Amino acid sequence: MSCELKAKDRVGTINPIFTCQPAGAQYASIGIKDCIGLVHGGQGCVMFVRLTMSQHFKESFELASSSVHEDAAVFGALHRVEQGVDVLLMRYPDLKVIPIITTCSTEVIGDDVDGVVQKLEAGLLKEKYAGREVHLIPIHTPSFVGSQISGYDVAVKAIVEHFATKSDKTNGKINLLTGWVNPADVTELKSLLAAMEVDATVLFDIETFDSPIMPDGNHVSHGETTIADLQSTANAIGTIALNKYEGAKAAKYLENEFEVPAIIGPTPIGIRNTDTFLANVKKMSGKAIPQSLVRKRGIALDAIADVSHMFLAGKKVAIYGNPDLVIGLAEYCIDLEMEPVLLLLGDDNGTYNADPRIKALKEGVGFEMEIVTNADFWELEDRIKNKGLKLDLILGHSKGRFVAIDNNIPMVRLGYPVYDRAGGFRHPVVGYDGAIWLAEEMANTIFTDMEYKHNKEWVLNVW
Amino acid sequence: MPYHQFKCSECIPERLQHAVDKGVDEDLTSALPLGYLNTIPGTISERGCAYCGAKHVIGTPMKNVIHLSHGPVGCTYDTWQTKRYISDDGNFQLKYTFASDVKESNVVFGAEKMLKKNIIEAFKAFPQIHNMNIYSTCATALIGDDINAVAEEVMEEMPGKKIFVCNSPGFAGPSQSGGHHKINLQFLNQWVGTGEPEIYSKYVINYIGEYNIQGDQEIMRDYFYRMGIQILATFTGNGRFDDLRCLHKAHLNVLECARSAEYICDELRVRYGIPRMDIDGFGFEATADSLRKIGYFFGIEDKAEQIIAEEYARWKPELDWYAARLQGVKMCLWPGGSKLWHWAHMLKTEIGINVVSVYTKFGHQGDMEKGVSRCEPGALAIDDPNELEGLEAMYELKPDLIMTGKRPGEVAKKIRVPYLNVHGYHNGPYKGFEGWVRLARDIYNCVYSPAHSLVHLDISKDEIPTDKGFVTRQMLSDVNLSDEIKNSTELRECTSDYDPIPRLRKKLEENLYTFPDPETGEWRQVPLEKLKKNKVVDVE
Repeated sequence: MSCELKAKDRVGTINPIFTCQPAGAQYASIGIKDCIGLVHGGQGCVMFVRLTMSQHFKESFELASSSVHEDAAVFGALHRVEQGVDVLLMRYPDLKVIPIITTCSTEVIGDDVDGVVQKLEAGLLKEKYAGREVHLIPIHTPSFVGSQISGYDVAVKAIVEHFATKSDKTNGKINLLTGWVNPADVTELKSLLAAMEVDATVLFDIETFDSPIMPDGNHVSHGETTIADLQSTANAIGTIALNKYEGAKAAKYLENEFEVPAIIGPTPIGIRNTDTFLANVKKMSGKAIPQSLVRKRGIALDAIADVSHMFLAGKKVAIYGNPDLVIGLAEYCIDLEMEPVLLLLGDDNGTYNADPRIKALKEGVGFEMEIVTNADFWELEDRIKNKGLKLDLILGHSKGRFVAIDNNIPMVRLGYPVYDRAGGFRHPVVGYDGAIWLAEEMANTIFTDMEYKHNKEWVLNVW
Repeated sequence: MPYHQFKCSECIPERLQHAVDKGVDEDLTSALPLGYLNTIPGTISERGCAYCGAKHVIGTPMKNVIHLSHGPVGCTYDTWQTKRYISDDGNFQLKYTFASDVKESNVVFGAEKMLKKNIIEAFKAFPQIHNMNIYSTCATALIGDDINAVAEEVMEEMPGKKIFVCNSPGFAGPSQSGGHHKINLQFLNQWVGTGEPEIYSKYVINYIGEYNIQGDQEIMRDYFYRMGIQILATFTGNGRFDDLRCLHKAHLNVLECARSAEYICDELRVRYGIPRMDIDGFGFEATADSLRKIGYFFGIEDKAEQIIAEEYARWKPELDWYAARLQGVKMCLWPGGSKLWHWAHMLKTEIGINVVSVYTKFGHQGDMEKGVSRCEPGALAIDDPNELEGLEAMYELKPDLIMTGKRPGEVAKKIRVPYLNVHGYHNGPYKGFEGWVRLARDIYNCVYSPAHSLVHLDISKDEIPTDKGFVTRQMLSDVNLSDEIKNSTELRECTSDYDPIPRLRKKLEENLYTFPDPETGEWRQVPLEKLKKNKVVDVE
């Protein structure tokens, strides 16, 4: 019985689990109010990322392209950035923040985006937009380095670094870096903090990604984290970055630069990790954990008791996606007596073997478990089809849907993107509410499968 | 002055000539927007890149091919599973995508060696597949990898494997259209003429510019087979690599989407003397005329007329049920490239829809020429539209629906305009007679959605109607309808199955088609395996 961490041993990718860095930077940029990211590269780098977002959220988000064409690829494309910034500022009067997100093409041709930002600040912004608050933030996210995960991490750090400004007194708040989550996760996290009467600056406040059709006006989905929020991150009483790989860079920056103490992790998935999160909040804020959360936790434990040892115990699970999400889910599954036998992390981050959570899994699990880095979906499918891997459940995002469909394995859609089920973004995975939803959704998915396959479906008669 | 000045674009004067209002009695000389020019950065244009135009639009619909993108993983991931081009042999092209996964060290030291490993790995993982398309991307084009040389090397080492290399990096052109052009000519140059097909009919066509979205190709294939016509290859929806190597052997190129695939037709005419015939598979009259044209070409008008008669009898009463209820509905027809001219006039004449605006993301002036000429006066035509212009147009024109892509559809939703997907379709296929009824049905369901009828009510200010617990579509659509139409026993709602394609595949399996022998002219059945997988012999 052991847990092994290994890298995929093929060089290529058959059905990728992750996309590249610029997508992560774009996901971060849509969380900021009055912000439109300008992606410096070919148009597809934006068009398809926006399409994936619109598939996941069933909403459209504003993201622009510098539209690098053939001539620019040969002669340099910085003039396209200059024109792009100007066009955006002219046409979007409320626009204040423009992250300039690089891609593989513009990094390979060596466009000096930092230089052009200086040039624009000294020229265009002074001359044409004097008196208007405009922030241009270079974000370097070549697609051949890291993945969407590091892209998100790099972007959050660049954004925080640009804005964070120390003032004389503390703002009395906690910086909460959520990592790559859904609107419902933000709602749950805010509700936990509100119960503890803790004020937080949420990076990024994306609850409004779930936006309405209203009787009049246009209600475009966008984040609500403001420039003032971002500036005051330097004056917080502390930072909690929930995800080690999505936001920790910024948390460490604030600690090193402004002595804002940082706690990294754990991803509050499941009861145990949520307890730890609340303990961290308590430690940082000095606030007590109220009875209302004891009760909320109790409701979650009650829900778990209904399904865990009767239905979930012993179920073999494969989990893929964002590393913090995957590890958090694996930990929770183990608490639910399940066996997460295969974890697939879609990038080659060299620090995974130093992750204390992975170390703990290696030392602690009582079943055969594999953690594959730089993984693609073939790592999953090949094991099922050709290597005898038996699974009861798959947890992950929609891009892996055919592995589940073609092999008749039930699957709970989680993470990003989820486009083959309605309203995925409406369910939290973090906090006590997330624990309830996860346990019940996994159970219900297994129930449907039992009925579909006539596999002891009569058990549910008297449950 | 026919140009349409968007308020939101006053500050970018070069946009002015990209939008026109078609005036009464105006001809195209005064009402044609500029097209296919470089995109203005920062406009939030809806255009994609030349890589997606090649790989995603034209390359990937080829079935039973390993589609490998040589570059970082994102190009592959982002374009994967965003289309609905099915195939009749298990949808490998939808389910599997391959990336060479270029990393920083490869950018520095070159990525040819790792590409070779990639190709071999992919063929080993799927030993039953013998064809591969490799697509370059921005990164690998810029570092100058010689993909063709790597492909040649592998083909020498792995006899029987055939690799097509498509060099169309994302920046190669103002839009996806640049990629269409490149893949057309590169496939022709590399592979057409290398196969000798078995000819089993007197009448042999290539079906070009058809991508089998939700089964479009299979609807049309049924008509062609009923006429006894052999489809040598479809470029590219539901098309086999081997069949596509034989494009040079057809008697006629039947061209559907001229925007994306006229290039290969024109070159096949120049090099092999194969005539090009443009057809329209959308709309009753358009489909009927297309079948007639093909019938005239081969001298089998009677066959065409027989199919048209059968299909009209089967489906026209259903189309007319919807047409009666959709008269005067205002639509913005905002597709990608060619559907503005495939659809504008058919929507008007056959369904009664008033197309108040057309746009094209990657069309050329020729598409606008056709599109604008098929619109009614008053229509607003926009080239390379952007987010703010789209919003301004919708506020001004107040359409009852727009037909566009997924993401612009979400923009429209927020200002209470419902949308239908014209790229992947809502509930297609939309081609042919049955398909056109399905489109009319989908438009009707969209426009008369009882839930949608509630979006304008402001419960904080307006008087709330409390007399109804539900409303049906027909309560909304039939308000001003004459009794004659309401009580008609001839007209009926759409009876097409949720998925009509299994019925057509079953028909193929049952081998109900006959074809005239190329020598004797005798009409006879052809062995099923030939219909499904024609024999192709390699030639030098």
